Amino acid sequence: MTELVLKDVSRRYGDALAIDGINLSVTNGEFLTLLGPSGCGKSTTLSAIAGLDQPTGGRISFGDQLLVDATSGTFLPPEARGFGVVFQSYALWPHLSVEDNVGMALKLRKVPAAERRARIAQALELVELGPLADRYPGELSGGQQQRVALARAIVFRPPLLLLDEPLSNLDAQLRQQARVWLKDIQQELGLTTIYVTHDQDEALAMSDRIVVMRGGKVVQLGTPQEIYRDPIHPFPASFIGNANLLAVTGGAVSGGGSCVVTLGDGQIVRARTPLADLRAGAQLLAIRPHLIRCVPTQDASEINVEFGPESYLGDHFEQEARVAGCTIRLRLDAPQPRGAGRIWVRAQDAVVFGVDE
Amino acid sequence: MHKRVQAGQRRKGYSMTYATQRDRAYRGGGVQRSFDRARLAQWLIFIVTAALMLAPALPILLQVFVDRPLYADDWQFTLSNIGDILQSERIGRIALTTGIFAVFSVIIAEVLGIGAALLIGRTDLPGRQIMGDVLMWPLYLSHLIFALGWVVMYGPSGFITQSIAQHVGGTPWNLYSIAGMAVVAGISQAPLAYLYCLYGAVRSVDSTLESAARTVGCGPLQVLRRVTLPLMVPSIITSSALNLVIAVETLSIPLFLARPARIDTLSTFLYAEGIAASNPNHGLVAASSLLLMLLVGSALMVQRILLRQGHRYETVKGKGTRPMVLSLGKLRWPLAALTGLILLVAVVVPIAGILLRAFTSFLSPLVPVTKVLTFANFEQLLGNPANLRAISNTFQISFVSAALGTVLAVAVALVIQRSSFKFTGTLEALAYSPRVIPGMITGLGIFYAAIILPPMGWLRGNIGIMVVAYVMATLPLALGVIQPAIIQIGRDLDKAARTVGADWVSSMRLVMMPLLKPALLGSFILLFVFHLKSYIIAIFLIAPGLEIMGVTMLSLWTNGDVGELAAFATLQILMVAVLLILSRLLFKVKIYD
Repeated sequence: MTELVLKDVSRRYGDALAIDGINLSVTNGEFLTLLGPSGCGKSTTLSAIAGLDQPTGGRISFGDQLLVDATSGTFLPPEARGFGVVFQSYALWPHLSVEDNVGMALKLRKVPAAERRARIAQALELVELGPLADRYPGELSGGQQQRVALARAIVFRPPLLLLDEPLSNLDAQLRQQARVWLKDIQQELGLTTIYVTHDQDEALAMSDRIVVMRGGKVVQLGTPQEIYRDPIHPFPASFIGNANLLAVTGGAVSGGGSCVVTLGDGQIVRARTPLADLRAGAQLLAIRPHLIRCVPTQDASEINVEFGPESYLGDHFEQEARVAGCTIRLRLDAPQPRGAGRIWVRAQDAVVFGVDE
Repeated sequence: MHKRVQAGQRRKGYSMTYATQRDRAYRGGGVQRSFDRARLAQWLIFIVTAALMLAPALPILLQVFVDRPLYADDWQFTLSNIGDILQSERIGRIALTTGIFAVFSVIIAEVLGIGAALLIGRTDLPGRQIMGDVLMWPLYLSHLIFALGWVVMYGPSGFITQSIAQHVGGTPWNLYSIAGMAVVAGISQAPLAYLYCLYGAVRSVDSTLESAARTVGCGPLQVLRRVTLPLMVPSIITSSALNLVIAVETLSIPLFLARPARIDTLSTFLYAEGIAASNPNHGLVAASSLLLMLLVGSALMVQRILLRQGHRYETVKGKGTRPMVLSLGKLRWPLAALTGLILLVAVVVPIAGILLRAFTSFLSPLVPVTKVLTFANFEQLLGNPANLRAISNTFQISFVSAALGTVLAVAVALVIQRSSFKFTGTLEALAYSPRVIPGMITGLGIFYAAIILPPMGWLRGNIGIMVVAYVMATLPLALGVIQPAIIQIGRDLDKAARTVGADWVSSMRLVMMPLLKPALLGSFILLFVFHLKSYIIAIFLIAPGLEIMGVTMLSLWTNGDVGELAAFATLQILMVAVLLILSRLLFKVKIYD
């Protein structure tokens, strides 16, 4: 069942478009992630869904309820939507105890005191913070604050949970744990969730589907596997998995599949394209660093390169190489001697895109 | 491991109730309201503010273009009031005097204030803590009291003046002059310049900027001159503009010091024509009020132009970082002695003079003080029921005005900064408009408004009319305390309240108001003290039975009852001191800090 639908949603600030014609639909129980670099419009999209920001164009509906319609001027304020929101800053009220922070939603809904206490206790137990109910936010660690923020967002049983980079203020180790824990809770509650992050690992690990955004637009929407394996645009390819991008030229291809491109120095690379209609002329070739080999491989194009400096990164080396005026990065178990050398890239690992107009 | 399993089971239980209850109770789990309470509240705040700000201004404008008092029945439109003003040589001279006096007093205030901010805020000057406190005294007292102190000690027949005259023959200075006025006004406004420079620049400037100057070879004094002082420019401009406005509208200093020498400023002219004259020329009064507003308005325009970037909210607040302390070396003690002497002569002696005069029947170097000690002044003061009524009225009016003023200010500030209301720009402009309107004219405008606007008529003859004028006149002052406090509170905090089901009104009440408590208390105390010592706004509004302390003191001066006036001033100093000390001890609130 489709729950949340965004149709052509835009947000204009003066001359600048923060989001530009976003179309999305989120189904019941789904974990959807908005992924992109800062300024891509992911947080603005989340604010528009939450009702914290009023879009200047398009419509948003949830089930059979219309939330926003720019043409008719409909705008349901956040308190009437009743979605749970976890803020990046947690936004815990410093003058209220943990219990009162969590309980405010129930007080506003005039839930009787006995039931309120029971539900606060339940929610705090769920986030494993039962014993800290009387503390104040200032007396909690970052991780504990984040859990209170989650408890506060779900205690009134919202039909939709919105999370704005909730883990970005935690240190790396805690973030790993919180990721698993958060996903557990989401699955057990069967809670439809929209999650905003700029961290590709978080997105890949937690999401049912990922929306990759750039410049206020949706670039690609798909499952983590689709986004990682079959990017349809050079941006997701480079943003997720750090693919090398090389300027190449090639012929037109229709219907997708294998193709051949020419590097700037004339070397030929056999590749494939996910695009249904690849136009002739300037094109972009994306190759992930760990898919470049330094030994002859079957069905692989051989490319002459100039190996550059390497850095030691613990379980692997990262080495630079120059080819046709571009610098590419390689992920290697052992560095290659500097100077002229050769690499091999399989046709299935070399992906060709059109150049953005 | 065991713990994790348990936690998992707990969650399972929760998730089952979660699903069923959600389906039952939460189709669109929000909090629905039958009407838009937030819009209603925001419009109400806007309308109240607009009415309060425009009610006094519009009648004055009308009076300018009318040939007889507004309360007369058969007035007609005319331009002759403007013509009279433009042609009158006397008013031109008065405007010029006002300008010269204002400019010189600002220069004196700024030089003293900047010097004190640098010395007290940044150096190892001995006794800087106590000197900083003494410097603030004039700000806590009214110009009326301060001017009285100067007259008693340094006036032509003042105690100090006469003591010196005895030894050298002939009075050494003439306080009753434009220069005398400028000195008194300059010293009483120096604390404002000091505060702005101290918190706007001296304390908040990143000390690494100064350290950087040290590393490239600047000595400590060169750092002050080349780095710190230039960074103070915005604070200097802002405090200069405010001081200029205050100098233009001050009444008691020119009334005490210039009137005896037959020098007039716009404020004493307005006072004489509008209050003291038996048959006031209201057209002329309104037209000169307009002239005064233009003077003040242009001063604030210049400030705006000079400070086009940044400094949107003028505040008396800053970051509490402790920058490095500059060592004065050999100059420490000489500079401390000099600063101490200036403070002694300019602040301590005049205030001591008031206390002394209050407890004596006569003050002269020719008569030993011990022979004239008396409580007669206080007996006279407290024996007059009108004076007691003035004290009780003042407390009532100050309390109600400070409370209502704080409530209005926080409501306006929250709409301006935390709502999606359409006309926040207009609201802000309206709320800050009293800054252009000198206090005496606020009073005059409310007076006119009460005559011609029917609903305002209800306020005539009770403290309501005074409360309305006070709340209006001090709205920018209260906003100056509350707005910076709101900026300190993260926007996510009230947004979060919205997401859990609070509408705008509830989110302000449940989240913003509790967090603003210290600022609200600070604003209340600041307004209360301000109203307690105020006299200028009420001049046109007092009536028999509706006396207030400040205006009573003014008429004591006009009647020549200096002893009784000094006793009253002593009482007021005591009240303000007790209030400030109590608020520091009980609430940990330091106003102007």
